[in-house]
Amino acid sequence: MTAQALLQVLVSGLLMGLLYALIAAGLSLIFGLMDVVNFAHGEFLMLAMYATFGFVFATHLDPVIGIPLVAALLFIVGAFCYAAVVRYAMRAKANIGMVQIFSTFGLAIFLQGAAQYFLTPDYRSIQASWFGDKTLNLAGVFLPWPQILGGLVSVMAFGALYLLIARTDLGKALEATREDQGAVALVGIDKNRVFAIGWGLGAALVGLAGGVLAIFYYIHPQVGAAFGGIAYVTVALGGFGSVFGALVAGVIVGLVEAVTASILPPALKNIGIYALYLGVLFFRPSGLFGKL
Amino acid sequence: MTPSSPLIWGTATVLLDVKGLSTAYQGLIAISDISLNVAEGEIVVVAGANGAGKSTLLKSISGMEVPQKGEVIFAGSPIQGMAGHKITAAGIAYVPENKRLFPRLSVEDNLRVGSYLYRGRPDRYAPLDKVFTLFPRLKERLTQRAETLSGGEQQMLAISRALMTRPRLLMLDEPSQGIMPKLVDEIFEAVKAVRDSGVTILLVEQRLVESLEIADRAYVLQTGRVTLQGTAKEIADNPEVRKAYLGI
Repeated sequence: MTAQALLQVLVSGLLMGLLYALIAAGLSLIFGLMDVVNFAHGEFLMLAMYATFGFVFATHLDPVIGIPLVAALLFIVGAFCYAAVVRYAMRAKANIGMVQIFSTFGLAIFLQGAAQYFLTPDYRSIQASWFGDKTLNLAGVFLPWPQILGGLVSVMAFGALYLLIARTDLGKALEATREDQGAVALVGIDKNRVFAIGWGLGAALVGLAGGVLAIFYYIHPQVGAAFGGIAYVTVALGGFGSVFGALVAGVIVGLVEAVTASILPPALKNIGIYALYLGVLFFRPSGLFGKL
Repeated sequence: MTPSSPLIWGTATVLLDVKGLSTAYQGLIAISDISLNVAEGEIVVVAGANGAGKSTLLKSISGMEVPQKGEVIFAGSPIQGMAGHKITAAGIAYVPENKRLFPRLSVEDNLRVGSYLYRGRPDRYAPLDKVFTLFPRLKERLTQRAETLSGGEQQMLAISRALMTRPRLLMLDEPSQGIMPKLVDEIFEAVKAVRDSGVTILLVEQRLVESLEIADRAYVLQTGRVTLQGTAKEIADNPEVRKAYLGI
């Protein structure tokens, strides 16, 4: 492999990894906040991709313009899913862990089924983006613009998330609730409101990723499964509950995937990621930055 | 006798009125038919052995536990069954036995979260002056994580965080527990200073001698019921109390 080809692999992996990190961030945020794994996370991504498709279909504008709207919509979807489903699952008197797993798993199946029924199983794609099939030639390294956009959106989203957590009262309320959800009432904070906002934020983050992904990936009801799987690997590697662990882990996962794909036949490109996952389970079950 | 309790002397308004309160855990009765009241500006002590139901009483008032029966009237309005965060917003701050600080947040952030109800208001941090006058050592620890503080400092922070919510009534559950003797007096002095600054106090304590010294009135609980009540002096002079709690 020439140095240039290697650079091509690494930069592509980095950009894709930033997008994986953005997908995983919301999953990790929700887990860290309340110890609930959202098994419908991939389906949130699928909804965001369809929402972007719908935006382009309805307005004929560039999908990039719709991304903030899609994120806002997903915020509402996430908060609603907490208020309508997860909140009740958390009140289970027995087997609370199982009840939580099946409630979000059920949510995933419901969302997939609803998409299948109302949006049909057809594969769809967005043709009309300025970013669509353009590539940037950087000294012989070719970078597709949608991936560059994804990397930028991801870095900006992580920056905004950092400021939110470190600087704002909402961020402090999230941290306090994460520390002791039974104690926030002592300072007048409604933990259910914080949880709903946490689900909204988690869904909005994956909404940003879905908006970018819709530009260069086929949209169909099962699209969440593949990316959801990668998100769980990313969160496990970064450490459950560590949002910035998800950033580092996402980049690692992207690089591993790109390197695997350049060595092995394309059909086996996921092998590297899942081998990495097994390695994490064996050697560092708490992940890179985890506290489990 | 000095007029120690404004309530008894008919000069003050009742701030907290608990009527026939009962709470059970998994069918086991923890407190049963408890009635007590606290007048504005008083320090009222609730004493009793372990398991007498003192903590359950405070949890039931603060909304951490939902009482089965009875009424809790605060500043004229019923609050029993209300969510805990609303009871805090209504003006009751509660420092539980295990303090429930946010351990990995800094001292500063614990205080900041304490003033969450006043976010966006220019006078948000007004109670800080009072807090640092009471506990100057917290000022030196602002950037430290709460979990790195000593037991006494954690208690100071827990009281301070509660004061940031600007309560009319402060409920403390065994603030002297797990604290080195030197600091116990400091805590009791602080409780008195908080009352003198205008906050009414309901104090649960096992250290009867020290708490009766600063209290106006006291209730004694036994197996979930009020068995004795009176002014601090009456309780301190009661032969049974002296035998059971003071070892005399």
